[in-house]
Amino acid sequence: MAFREKIAWLTLGSMVVAYTIYFSLLAAYFDPGLPAGPRTVQMLALFGGVTIVQVVLIIIVSAVMGYRAQREAQARPDERDRAIARRAGSIAYYVLMAGMVLVGVVMPFSEPGWRITNAALAALVIAEATRYGLIILSYRRGWHG
Amino acid sequence: MAKPPISNDIRTLRFLAGEMTQAELGERIGVTRQTIAAIEAGKYSPTLEAAFRIARVFGKPLEEVFRWEDQQIQP
Repeated sequence: MAFREKIAWLTLGSMVVAYTIYFSLLAAYFDPGLPAGPRTVQMLALFGGVTIVQVVLIIIVSAVMGYRAQREAQARPDERDRAIARRAGSIAYYVLMAGMVLVGVVMPFSEPGWRITNAALAALVIAEATRYGLIILSYRRGWHG
Repeated sequence: MAKPPISNDIRTLRFLAGEMTQAELGERIGVTRQTIAAIEAGKYSPTLEAAFRIARVFGKPLEEVFRWEDQQIQP
């Protein structure tokens, strides 16, 4: 398996787990009835905690993977890596755009701020998951640009 | 995108070049071992530049390394 494919698996897996936990906890424990200050603190603490755990996990695991495959980890992306990254990025861009249109154009008329913020976060997560999913798919199934 | 009708003889040419490894070939043309494996398996179509580089490593013209598999349309 290509080193960049392993990193894509790691990032996708940790992201799906982290944000599934975040949105589940938000749905279960978040109290929208709180005043704006404590409500923001509660949301930021949850988001910060999940993000820090995810980032630390990615750094540690990718460092271990890089140590075990030093040559591959240090090698610059080749033409296939770049083609796959370009394709995944350009498709994920449309997913992100659709999410941002929903969040920035539709939701402000009907939804409270905290929900818009989390919808924007969800759009980012879905777009990133799409990107890493396409990277993995392209490495697995092949890529014919 | 659909798989293009292109095949290649890289595996055979590596064998004839003293069982050259995928890693060696990759190193000589500036791609990873996995990319050579993907090209051999028909999972990745290399750029024209990489295709020429591969052909040059084996000292062959491009058409002796890569082939377009014509699919005749039956009347």
